[in-house]
Amino acid sequence: MKIPDFLVKTYIAIIILIIYLPLVFVVLLSFKSGANISFPIERFTLDWYLKPPTGYEYAAYVSLFYDRQFFAALRNSFTVSIVVALMAMVLVTTTALAFRRRMAGRNFLFYLFLLGFLTPGVTVGLGVNFLFRLLNLPFSFWSAALINVIYVVPFGLILMMARFDPNLLFYEQAAAVLKAPPLMIFRRITLPLIIYEVISAAILGFLLSWGEVIRTQFAMKGIGTLSTFINTQLGVNPLTPKWYAAGTLISAVSFLGFLVFAYLLTKTVRQQA
Amino acid sequence: MSARPPKIMNYILLLPGLLVIAFFLVIPLLLTVVISFMQEFSFTNPIFTVENYIEFFTSPQTPTILANTFGMSLLASLVALLVGYPAAYFMAFRIKSIKTRNLIISLLLVPFLIDWNVRTIAWIPILGESGIVNYLLQYFNIVHQPVSLLFSRWTLIIIWLQSNLLFMIFPIYLALSRIDPDVINAARVLKSPPHRVFYEIIFKLSLPGVIVGLTFVFVNTLGDYITPSLWAGGIQVLGLSVANFAANFVWPYAATQSTVLILISLAVLVILFKIVDIKKLVE
Amino acid sequence: MAKVVEARKLAKRYKGAVEALREVSFEVDENEFFIIMGPSGCGKSTLLRIIAGILDYDSGELYIKGENMKNVPPHRRDVSMMLENFALFPHMTVYENIAFGLRMLGKDKDEIDREVRKMTRLLHIEGLEDRMPNEISGGQRQRVALARALIIRPSVLLLDEPLSHVDYQLQRKFAEMLKEVHREIGGVFMLTTHDQEHGLSLADRMLIMNSGLVEQIGTPTQIYNDPQTLFAARFVGELNTFAGTVEEVSPDAVWVKTEFGTFKARHPAAENARDLVGRRVAYIVRPEHVRVAREDSGQDNRLSVYFNTYYYFGHFLELVFSADAQTRVKSVISANEPFTAKVGEQLTLTWPYTKATIVSKPSVVEGVDIEELIYGK
Repeated sequence: MKIPDFLVKTYIAIIILIIYLPLVFVVLLSFKSGANISFPIERFTLDWYLKPPTGYEYAAYVSLFYDRQFFAALRNSFTVSIVVALMAMVLVTTTALAFRRRMAGRNFLFYLFLLGFLTPGVTVGLGVNFLFRLLNLPFSFWSAALINVIYVVPFGLILMMARFDPNLLFYEQAAAVLKAPPLMIFRRITLPLIIYEVISAAILGFLLSWGEVIRTQFAMKGIGTLSTFINTQLGVNPLTPKWYAAGTLISAVSFLGFLVFAYLLTKTVRQQA
Repeated sequence: MSARPPKIMNYILLLPGLLVIAFFLVIPLLLTVVISFMQEFSFTNPIFTVENYIEFFTSPQTPTILANTFGMSLLASLVALLVGYPAAYFMAFRIKSIKTRNLIISLLLVPFLIDWNVRTIAWIPILGESGIVNYLLQYFNIVHQPVSLLFSRWTLIIIWLQSNLLFMIFPIYLALSRIDPDVINAARVLKSPPHRVFYEIIFKLSLPGVIVGLTFVFVNTLGDYITPSLWAGGIQVLGLSVANFAANFVWPYAATQSTVLILISLAVLVILFKIVDIKKLVE
Repeated sequence: MAKVVEARKLAKRYKGAVEALREVSFEVDENEFFIIMGPSGCGKSTLLRIIAGILDYDSGELYIKGENMKNVPPHRRDVSMMLENFALFPHMTVYENIAFGLRMLGKDKDEIDREVRKMTRLLHIEGLEDRMPNEISGGQRQRVALARALIIRPSVLLLDEPLSHVDYQLQRKFAEMLKEVHREIGGVFMLTTHDQEHGLSLADRMLIMNSGLVEQIGTPTQIYNDPQTLFAARFVGELNTFAGTVEEVSPDAVWVKTEFGTFKARHPAAENARDLVGRRVAYIVRPEHVRVAREDSGQDNRLSVYFNTYYYFGHFLELVFSADAQTRVKSVISANEPFTAKVGEQLTLTWPYTKATIVSKPSVVEGVDIEELIYGK
């Protein structure tokens, strides 16, 4: 009756394969010569990354390195995601610390924060659009960042609350009794003990906003972030390996961020029996 | 922060988060509901009406849109459950090493973090008419003309599965890994056959995880309108309709549809919150 | 003598009701080893946290060295505390943990160094300074936590269940160390425990708590010999209890009619003689005063019982008898004393009336019926 070990392993392997296979193809296609997305791949080339333009190509055929708009969007992406990371770091930390205590409306507030992720992006995007129109506020990377922050915070919150040292409150109380004033307690006890979670929250904020399209589209005008830029470009331009090259670069950033994130998750200050 | 003046300190800590939530979630959603009852998006001379709702619910397209929206998300959730439950089960009970478990969880996270466009164009070289599958089918003379694999509802389900599987597997895995092995042993000792042990003990105790997983996948796919419009034979879903009307500046009608979308999500969430306490999976 | 800690009608309400303080008043004198004892959930930990200032109280007053503590944060109180699970900072070495309080007080490096060395010597934890808390044993953690709390030389040292998170042997060792450290350093020590043995052996005075109320305050001998409530009597040691009605009172004795006959007891110091006659009371006698009668030993109280079973504890022997189907009577004798009896054998137990007493209150908690407390529900 017991399922044999190799079946267990095969099942998990197939799942991993199914979700990673497409990403492998993205990388493969970005090195393909010729403009068609077709098989077999006859020759691998770096043209889609580096080839100097002749000056007569359509956008879809200009190599990434020479695409000014691509770089502008890249810069926007970094700006937005870094701002999201910093905001998420602060908000997740303060909110998670507050949630440790029993207080009136704690459950309600927790669900409210969760709603930031559970509300469909299009409705949030539309609503923020309404508010900005009503108040005559301009869209900028700030609005793009903030609309992403509410989407990111619940993830960080869950992560941090799940990983909080259950004794943290006791350490703080011990410090208070040992004559540490509140700010000192935060600096010497609380922060050092949750530092990995705090940084993780920032990186998670960066990663989740990095590939977000729907919300950002509603809250940013102009060239937008990489994701919204490529989304627009795909609508009006033919699909060439250039977009796979762009995708490879975007994913490389995501993957690097992910590695740091995963590494931080294995680290913890928490010890003691 | 510290131990002493707890209450005030707590509310101070909550303040920044609440401000952002208020300004970028609560007020926008309330505003959407208000605008959905307006004739024009104009607060200088507002005219309130229920016309938009009447129009929406009497439109001949609405039943199809709602059926598509609901149906595809529901299907995606169920497929994710069928695929995800065994994986979660194996991780909780068959994979002993915590490191391996964490590695798998991490690997599941990556597709969710990958840029939305990348996730989408990734499937073209696989399932497209000149993609690898068609190439192989023709190479081995199984078919002679490229077959259209890409634009079907099942493609949509697969794409959604790829990025949402984590949300199904993780909560179930959490729930399963919290089951005390001795509870299962007790059931065995009390003469339960394996399938009864699974259903009476393991499955029932994992239900909170299952429900959280279903809801997360459901709500998450509900908001994605671009993927269905691209892949599933270009089917209309509610989100797409909202975006289209918004793009054409038909604000009140977009608000109406958006409100319906909010209500659907909220209804699902309320049901979830009634059945399980998500916080138990966290704390 | 000056009161170091003074609590007047302290109260703290919780939604959950457990661990709440209903009304607690007491005073602690200089250099007293004061023990707060009670079952888990009685509010003793809450009380300690309120004194430390890491918890607020709702009403009443708290004074430390005459100063009102309302709204005084913990770092401004002349108090230190060893928390229940020690709460050693996991990211700091043993040295940094012990030095923490002095650093917060802004002492200079040399002084901190000197004091830490003094503490590690006093508590026998030299050589551990550079280790992390997870690299030392449970007993060592316990002493590090004590050193950390003690180093700031507080007027009041609070110890929340310091004996309950280590093995039994370590408990005793640590208890002895505590008493020596107290003698050496002085100051007020306030310690909570649910263990009667630790409580009785360490305390100068003790407070018995139950459901957020004070059952009794007194020296260990006062509480052991002259309990004011049945709850307090039970909490500090084994007890034989009979429900009965007071029949007659003399200046030094009372006679209680029980279903096993009329027993004579010492007149309880706190009770007024005239009020007693006709009252339902619990007649109590501790097992170490109950003896198996040889011939006619001429004692005041005699009870016919059947031998039931015994428990051997090495240095003493606990004998269990049945007076009737429900009522067990215990006698504790030295393990050296000769005793032989068959199970079911009929014997007579006796005890001197000077060693027996009565309590008329089951508990300070309202609504507890004395019969219920004696017989169970």
